[in-house]
Amino acid sequence: MSNTLRPYLNAVRATLTAALTLENFSSQMVERHNKPEIEVGNSPEVLLKPLIVSRNESEKVLIEPSVNSIRLSIKIKQADEIEKILCHKFTRFMMMRAEGFVILRRKPLPGYDISFLITNFHSESMLKHKLVDFIIQFMEDVDKEISEMKLSLNARARIVAESYLSTVSCPI
Amino acid sequence: MSEYAFRKINIDALEEEVLLPSDLYDPDPRGPDGVLSDAQRKSGEVRNLVSKGDIPGALNAILSEPPYGEGVDQAKDLTTSSLLLILNSTRAAEIPGILKALDQEQQDHLMAYIYKGMAAIGQGSDVSGSVLLNWHAQLTEVAGVGCIVRVMTDRRTL
Repeated sequence: MSNTLRPYLNAVRATLTAALTLENFSSQMVERHNKPEIEVGNSPEVLLKPLIVSRNESEKVLIEPSVNSIRLSIKIKQADEIEKILCHKFTRFMMMRAEGFVILRRKPLPGYDISFLITNFHSESMLKHKLVDFIIQFMEDVDKEISEMKLSLNARARIVAESYLSTVSCPI
Repeated sequence: MSEYAFRKINIDALEEEVLLPSDLYDPDPRGPDGVLSDAQRKSGEVRNLVSKGDIPGALNAILSEPPYGEGVDQAKDLTTSSLLLILNSTRAAEIPGILKALDQEQQDHLMAYIYKGMAAIGQGSDVSGSVLLNWHAQLTEVAGVGCIVRVMTDRRTL
């Protein structure tokens, strides 16, 4: 991994570790319900201050903590149109299979590319530091994945263009 | 359909014991005007100290009794911009020593301002992300994760 990405991921890791202090908390509005308070959002006393960690305007992470859940939204770097399409396809593919990923949210927050929702039940059934590791690993890999896909897409496009155009090429 | 429109009214918001975000913290005793004049005085002081090269003194001045709450946006902007000026004009090697000299409350305020600075990147802020990330890393090393928790749970938005 590049050295410039390291401080960004370290800041996300520290913030996420701080935010992942969740406990069971039943809904104050509806009896015998238990909802992620960050998604319901109608009791201001259990929502904490949302924090943004950003490297530049195209790469940032929004972490919204609350008493029993946190929502983490990632904006992935998209330098050009191809990366935009690839990123959209990639995140859509995963979000359509969100229940397989357990903590993935089905829709990203507006302005972001992908969101995670971690509740106290997740942090009870899974190890907290492993959850943090997973998010960091995901952020590392998604950049790598998209640039790899972009390279292979370009290579493939070149081969296709060559084989198509070789039939119509005429020696000058 | 219009006969059901009343069902969408949030009746909890009309109750007497409704909790408003402003009930969660005590307002600044100085009042909006006092806060603004304080902030103006401090930002002038900071500019002086930074030009003399006294970074610890400047940080000390700006991080004690910062403006918070609602209705003091101008004072907040002034304080934030002078704080970012300090962060920008500090040499990387000096940062750990400066941070160790701050007390806990000042460290918490500094962390809150670092997050505020990062949130403003891309909205016409002139400070670069790598500077803020460097300060964040050093401050986390000195003050620990608890510092970030205190920023999140503090109701007084800086």
